[in-house]
Amino acid sequence: MDTLATDEIIVERALTGDAEAFGELVRRWERRIFALTYGMLGREEDARDATQETFLAAFRNLRGFRGEAKVSSWLHRIAVNQCISRQRRSKVRSEQALEEEHETSFTTPRSYSPAHVAEGRQETAAVRRAINSLPVELRQVIVMKEFEELTFREIADALELPLSTVKSRLYTALKQLQMRLQKFESRN
Amino acid sequence: MNEIQNSPGCERASELIAFLYGEADEHEVRDFRLHLQQCGGCREEVASFGDVRQSITAWRDEALAGFVSTPLTAQPRTKSALAALRQFFDLSPLWLKGATALAAVTFCVLAGLALFRSNHNEVSTKVYTEQDIDRIVKEALVQQARLQLPVQTPSPENITLNSPKPKPKNSRASSPTQFARSQRPLSKQEREQLAAELRLLSSDDDATLHLLGDRINQ
Repeated sequence: MDTLATDEIIVERALTGDAEAFGELVRRWERRIFALTYGMLGREEDARDATQETFLAAFRNLRGFRGEAKVSSWLHRIAVNQCISRQRRSKVRSEQALEEEHETSFTTPRSYSPAHVAEGRQETAAVRRAINSLPVELRQVIVMKEFEELTFREIADALELPLSTVKSRLYTALKQLQMRLQKFESRN
Repeated sequence: MNEIQNSPGCERASELIAFLYGEADEHEVRDFRLHLQQCGGCREEVASFGDVRQSITAWRDEALAGFVSTPLTAQPRTKSALAALRQFFDLSPLWLKGATALAAVTFCVLAGLALFRSNHNEVSTKVYTEQDIDRIVKEALVQQARLQLPVQTPSPENITLNSPKPKPKNSRASSPTQFARSQRPLSKQEREQLAAELRLLSSDDDATLHLLGDRINQ
């Protein structure tokens, strides 16, 4: 598979029945889509499921992709919708459960001292909690920007929002996160 | 210095965000830097937002460190024959599609004709068992006897039908299988007749057969 081919060319190939083409698209985007779903859902297992569902939904709707938007925007939109519908289904998980899962989810670098690890975990747990507490419309823009490093235009395309709305939502999201993290710091 | 606090009064949030994320153009960057020199609120926000972003980045890096490729790509799908065929048709030029379709139709017609002809030329392959042959022979004999009845004039011998009919000595009515299945010992004449009918005998075999026959008769 030509790795220099654009996403749009890969989609065209996939539409002609080239099964490997879609695999290439998945390989290109799975990490970033996982980042998005993880940022949105805050739970590794849910994020994996949502990532997989995103690509399955994309594959099923491949013929519906008209090329008006970029493939990446299209994939992100599907991923965001997957996350939102998943959250609607499962509602809000208890913070305690999230905390317990987080403790066992990730391995930590050995070079870190226990105190550093504990501090880092507390900080990342606080960030995760703060992001999870944001309203969905703010969470999705902050995750798309910070986790996926999409441009304002790309976010606007993916969410079908005006550019100015994306910027104002990002500003509001950062402001709210700043306030929540300050509270966390003052408590510790 | 007269500083403008970044409050609802300082409506440069959009520029701040563009500056923070490096998406402002050169002119906007220069302009906002000048503003930052005067606006403590914006300076504070840029600094605190930078901290927030660092925390998010730390969380993101930690989260993505645990990322392993999903099974969706870990098990690449193998192309089915149907998919390969579909791909062939999708990629083929129109003339090739037409030629393939014509060839397929011709093949189907020829295959149909061949099937039709083979059905008509089908030879009965019924296998007859020994019992079947005996039954057919008996039926034929009965039929033959019936046909002969009106021609023959009734005689006293014919009236006593149940009495065994003596066989003429030179009659060839007995078949080789009848000789073979007969339980009684064969007479010499019968053996010779059987051998002649079977046409098995060379001069040497004759002797063997006689010997065998003699042994059986003993």
